[in-house]
Amino acid sequence: MQMPLDVQYILELLPILLKYLSVTMEMAILGFCFAIILAVILAIVRVFKLPVLHNFAGLFISFFRGTPLLVQLFLLYYGLPQVMPIFAGVDAFSAAIIGLSLHFSAYMAESIRAAIMGVNKSQMEACLSIGMTRLQAMRRIILPQAARVATPSLMNYFIDMIKSTSLAFTLGVAEIMAKAQMEASSSFKYFESFLAVALIYWAVIEIFSRLQHYLEIRMNRAY
Amino acid sequence: MIKVQNLSKKFADNMVLNGIDFEVAHGEIVVIIGPSGTGKSTLLRCLNYLEIPTSGVIEIADVKVDSATATAAQITNLRKKSSFVFQNYSLFANKTALQNVAESLITVWKEPKLVALKQAETILQQVGLGEKIHQYPSQLSGGQQQRVGIARAMAAKGEVILFDEPTSSLDPEWVDEVLAVMKQLAVQKQTMIIVTHEMQFAREVANRVIFMEGGNIVEQGTPKQIFEKPQHQRTKEFVGRSVKQNLSALDSAML
Ligand SMILES: Nc1ncnc2c1ncn2[C@@H]1O[C@H](COP(=O)(O)OP(=O)(O)OP(=O)(O)O)[C@@H](O)[C@H]1O
Ligand SMILES: [Mg+2]
Repeated sequence: MQMPLDVQYILELLPILLKYLSVTMEMAILGFCFAIILAVILAIVRVFKLPVLHNFAGLFISFFRGTPLLVQLFLLYYGLPQVMPIFAGVDAFSAAIIGLSLHFSAYMAESIRAAIMGVNKSQMEACLSIGMTRLQAMRRIILPQAARVATPSLMNYFIDMIKSTSLAFTLGVAEIMAKAQMEASSSFKYFESFLAVALIYWAVIEIFSRLQHYLEIRMNRAY
Repeated sequence: MIKVQNLSKKFADNMVLNGIDFEVAHGEIVVIIGPSGTGKSTLLRCLNYLEIPTSGVIEIADVKVDSATATAAQITNLRKKSSFVFQNYSLFANKTALQNVAESLITVWKEPKLVALKQAETILQQVGLGEKIHQYPSQLSGGQQQRVGIARAMAAKGEVILFDEPTSSLDPEWVDEVLAVMKQLAVQKQTMIIVTHEMQFAREVANRVIFMEGGNIVEQGTPKQIFEKPQHQRTKEFVGRSVKQNLSALDSAML
């Protein structure tokens, strides 16, 4: 009787796939850094209702939350260079990072905005009363407090982002999902290959979930 | 030193301040009293531009701002001339007592961090909190938090400190320590404008008492004039009622 599951194959495949994990993590980390910068800017524009920018930010957030990530990636990588040739030089890896950061910044902006709005209004007044400007108040008092509130949900988005990097294989980025797909189609061991890649994602996410839990405990102790 | 001319504030259709005029001299301690909803808080908040006046001119030291032409830079300059002690303390929750007090020195006055922290520590010692400088607000009692609030206002290098019912949210046991710090400031001739219901404190400390009602200054004078020989009927009623309340509070405290 044939073994239903080729454990030996999985064990051999794991180290091969792990080599590509760095590409996945690079996309997730870089994407997250860009996303957070963009999200903070979008959130501030929305909170202060800055003229014109505010409307633009609203449209941006609505679009990137209202369409699938896969569609956005295709639009960015396959579509955009046709109408704007300067984008033709963007490689798949960069396009994936840009797409991921645009997509996630829209979600993150909303949770950062909610966190800022959640900081008591009297904190801003206290800043103003001693002569600080609104910008100084944001930087020194409001954003640090909002960050504490927003961190758990931002960590969730980071975890989501790690998983979403798997879509980059559709642009031809050689990350761990692409490698699994390649191995599967040459060995025909689809189940084992995709199980192996699933196990790796699971392990990585588990590590970050624990980190998130630990961070939350530490931050709740802070003040 | 402080000059307010024709200050008005309207919330929607509700006229809360009706063209108020008054002046406060350097080193003077002014206590504002009056019934609830009369515009006392609104007046203080306008002085600090936490509320934008509907019309009127506010002048503190060398900064003069007309609400009709006020620019953001003028408003920031005016705010630097006063500081505010809030009823609910409003300490920066993410900063220690020391950082709360040092914040204006570092961010607004651009002092080197070490110098600022040293100064902040000295001020916290003055309000009796030398032992608590590294505590966060959440780790302090109400009375201690309000003393940090006063220390923060002292550090801000304003000409005047504005107090809006600084003891009203305190448990009775913490009221005296806060009033003691304010009396100490009075001895040092710190200019202060204080909204309070603590009539005994007003009698002892104020140079001048202002009675406000319905968005107007009804009467003002020395504590003796206002509390013992009020001229207006409304002042008489208010002061009479407050004295009775204070006496009955005293009675129940003694029981
Ligand atoms: N932000 C606001 N929006 C609308 N109305 C306001 C606002 N702030 C104050 N008011 C109104 O202005 C009036 C005066 O309020 P204010 O808080 O200045 O009174 P107060 O004399 O300080 O009273 P209290 O002794 O109760 O503190 C009240 O009728 C109040 O409802
Ligand atoms: Mg009030």
